[in-house]
Amino acid sequence: MEIQEITGFFKEELFVADLKGKTRDEVLDELTEKFISGNFIKNHELVLDMLHRRESVGSTGIGHGIAIPHGRTTAAPELTIAFGKSSAGVEWEALDGEPVHLVFLVIAPPYEENNHYLPTLGKLVEFLSKAENRDRLKAIDNFQDFISLFSQ
Amino acid sequence: MKNELEILVALQDLDLMLKELDEVRQLGFDVRSEGEEALAKAREELVGQISKPLLGNYERLRAKYKRAIVPVKGDTCLGCFMKLPTYLLTHMQRDQRVINCEGCGRILYWLK
Repeated sequence: MEIQEITGFFKEELFVADLKGKTRDEVLDELTEKFISGNFIKNHELVLDMLHRRESVGSTGIGHGIAIPHGRTTAAPELTIAFGKSSAGVEWEALDGEPVHLVFLVIAPPYEENNHYLPTLGKLVEFLSKAENRDRLKAIDNFQDFISLFSQ
Repeated sequence: MKNELEILVALQDLDLMLKELDEVRQLGFDVRSEGEEALAKAREELVGQISKPLLGNYERLRAKYKRAIVPVKGDTCLGCFMKLPTYLLTHMQRDQRVINCEGCGRILYWLK
């Protein structure tokens, strides 16, 4: 799987240039609400419960200011990714203890025909491990530039 | 307060998470053993909220199909792709209760 392939999972309605949430729970709630308002899922509580359970297993803050909360849920019709930026930074109990500025929320159904969920998580981790990509993401404030970055 | 169907969905979501924890760990994510224990405990709590017959139904379907609960898209069960009768769709949307597909027996979940 190439990084360009994941661009189809991003949606403009799920792009948040300036997250309002100041805590991990608030950001998870805010991004999940975007899935609801964008009509990508219908049950806010089920998805949020799943995301909190995932965080209870270990933080999805992978370091360098990045968090990739994720999970499969029966409530999701298809693999979809929300993105949010926080200029102030959010405490996420990340691996390196640093506040999180870039959040990718990956929601997948229990089964996908092409089984893209785990490869997508892997590609995101790989892409975001490069400081150049993180720096460019921090400077982006619109969906078109965001998609362009992943399309290159 | 969740209804029985929502509790079952939460249980399936948790089972899916447990199943893929090792693979997620290998991708570089933080997955702690005490976290796995917490998940197992959360599973017990969910199981405690489900009636025995329904839990038995869920476990039997999970053993047979891997996914016990499947979405309905349009008027079709996405487990066996059988077109569902109108009265069943009406019940699902109105009552939000546990309904099994008449074709494959899986528990149906209305996505939208």
